[in-house]
Amino acid sequence: MIKNYFKIFLKVALQNKLFTFLSLFGISLTIMFVMIFSMTISKITTGSGPEKDLKDVVFCDRIKTKQTIKGKANNGYSVSSCGRRVSETYLKKTKSADIVSMYTGAMPWEFILDGKYQKRAQNQTDAEYWELFDYKFLSGRPYTYEEVTNGANLAVITKSLKELFFGNEENVLGKIIHYTSLDLIITGVVEDPSKSAQNAVGDLYFPYTLLKNTEAPDDYMGGFTLAFKGKDTKQFKAISDETHEMIARLDAADTSRAIFLSGPLTQLGKMMRGYGDPEEYSKGSTLFKFLLFALAFILLPAVNLMALNFARIHERGEEIAVRKSFGAASRVLRSQFLFENILMTLTGGVIGIILSFLVVDLLGNSLSLNVNYFSNVPLTFSFNYLVFAASLIACLIFGLLSGYLPAIRLSRMKPALYLKGGEL
Amino acid sequence: MIKLEKISKVYRTREIETLALDNINFYVKEGEFISVMGPSGCGKSTLLNIIGLLDEPDNGKIELDNLPVTSYEDKKTARMRNQLVGFIFQSFHLIKELNVYDNVELPLIYRNMPASERKLRVTESLEKVGLTNRMSHYPSQLSGGQCQRAAIARAVSGNPKIILADEPTGNLDSKIGHEVVSILADLNSKGTTIVMVTHDDMLAKSTHRIVRLFDGRLVG
Ligand SMILES: Nc1ncnc2c1ncn2[C@@H]1O[C@H](COP(=O)(O)OP(=O)(O)OP(=O)(O)O)[C@@H](O)[C@H]1O
Ligand SMILES: [Mg+2]
Repeated sequence: MIKNYFKIFLKVALQNKLFTFLSLFGISLTIMFVMIFSMTISKITTGSGPEKDLKDVVFCDRIKTKQTIKGKANNGYSVSSCGRRVSETYLKKTKSADIVSMYTGAMPWEFILDGKYQKRAQNQTDAEYWELFDYKFLSGRPYTYEEVTNGANLAVITKSLKELFFGNEENVLGKIIHYTSLDLIITGVVEDPSKSAQNAVGDLYFPYTLLKNTEAPDDYMGGFTLAFKGKDTKQFKAISDETHEMIARLDAADTSRAIFLSGPLTQLGKMMRGYGDPEEYSKGSTLFKFLLFALAFILLPAVNLMALNFARIHERGEEIAVRKSFGAASRVLRSQFLFENILMTLTGGVIGIILSFLVVDLLGNSLSLNVNYFSNVPLTFSFNYLVFAASLIACLIFGLLSGYLPAIRLSRMKPALYLKGGEL
Repeated sequence: MIKLEKISKVYRTREIETLALDNINFYVKEGEFISVMGPSGCGKSTLLNIIGLLDEPDNGKIELDNLPVTSYEDKKTARMRNQLVGFIFQSFHLIKELNVYDNVELPLIYRNMPASERKLRVTESLEKVGLTNRMSHYPSQLSGGQCQRAAIARAVSGNPKIILADEPTGNLDSKIGHEVVSILADLNSKGTTIVMVTHDDMLAKSTHRIVRLFDGRLVG
């Protein structure tokens, strides 16, 4: 029976090449996109180097303030990273987290060295930064809590920055590196962070306390991101509650503005929100929109195939009528049709997976991911069994979805109509 | 073997209502070979479809092989068709995507039958119609006469007690038509009950009995 179905599937597929192409096209393309998308996500979220282990870390990197002058429409609002004062005096004191770090993240640093223009990244951090992220020290040590509090002129540099400034010199600890008007003493050299890192980025690191705080006393905006590390993900809720409570108090005290804190979000959450309005995102509408979009994207080929199937029912009329006359029950015909349809979608899925291999292999470099301002990371094929299985299951569901209604219609056709005496 | 009592069938379309069968009583004994004749549109195909449970009458009772048909539940009629009836059509209706062997096997795949027995039955049926050397051909590679012989092999592979043939010679020239009918006569001589619709007087006369339909009614 299955053999018989299989033969019919092959014959029908080969005889109607256009239909086969149209059916496979949509599904293959969708599966290809899903595979590539998942590779992208996994490339960005499976941290390497200092970001190896971020699963117990959440981030706050956006604050939004809105004008709330009474009697006027709420129009003006601004969004930015967290201000230094609000970070230092409030967020950093979150007790629910085991480690809290504040840092600017990679900021552009442009300079001329030996007559050549250079663009590197500098990152102003606290001491906890070195605890939270897992940098590999090649020599020396990170700056300490006291040194940060006292604003010590210290710097940690990467191996590549060391090579840029000092060439092959072995020991550069204690040497001076200039950043704008600051003379920084090198206390440590670290291995360069992974290019796909999004938080632990930079060539030059120094205590943020070295720069004067120029914020207005009532400002909440600034350039800082906060990272909270717990023992496990169960701590996230407490961290979220505590930070939001702090901000709520600030909000209550401020009569002219509403203050809103985005997050804390995981790495993936942060990525999904992107530069979208943090308030909207926190309401879940961005996520909802994304899921809706993803669903539509995934359902599209199924709907397309269903339409094709409906359009083609009559082509199968004679065969169905003959099968019925010789004893096929409607249920049996439905399973035949579903079987064929699922074979079709699975074929599409396999083609899609092969396509994603090819695309990533051939175009991996031009499909590089702009993970942060400073680095492009080429996409490489990462075979994710989970995504693979999910893709095949999705194909199965496509097959069922797009085949079920047409199969019912088909199995209910009156055989007599297709068995008229004359030539058809 | 076949017993129709007070069978009526009305086809309704938006414009007209056609009384295709009008209160028909129709009996066929086991082992009979009968011909149904009548002008075009008089209801011959409708009659065969109703005997073969492909269509449901509006009124009346049917018995096949002493089993009254009490409900037209899909599963039941499918099973009865599969066990009791073999169809032969004017335009063969072989499944074009399948070769002769697979076409002949069709009634058997809807039974719980081991592959070895299916193979035996298919080969036997093809022997009966003299088509063993064509079993891997596709319908498009066969002549009309060969197609109809394959269709007969399909109709008999399930060993049905009844064969319903709707103008089986209608698309064939008279020589081949006679061959086909002689194959049917041969099957009949081994006990199969056959109802054949035909327009050919000669062929009809070679059967046991002729039933004439006119405007949905049996005459003469
Ligand atoms: N599905 C249908 N819908 C409406 N009317 C139908 C349908 N099938 C048959 N009829 C009508 O019922 C009548 C009997 O049709 P049937 O096919 O039984 O005739 P027939 O005797 O087999 O004719 P022929 O010798 O041309 O094959 C005809 O008038 C036909 O138009
Ligand atoms: Mg007819």
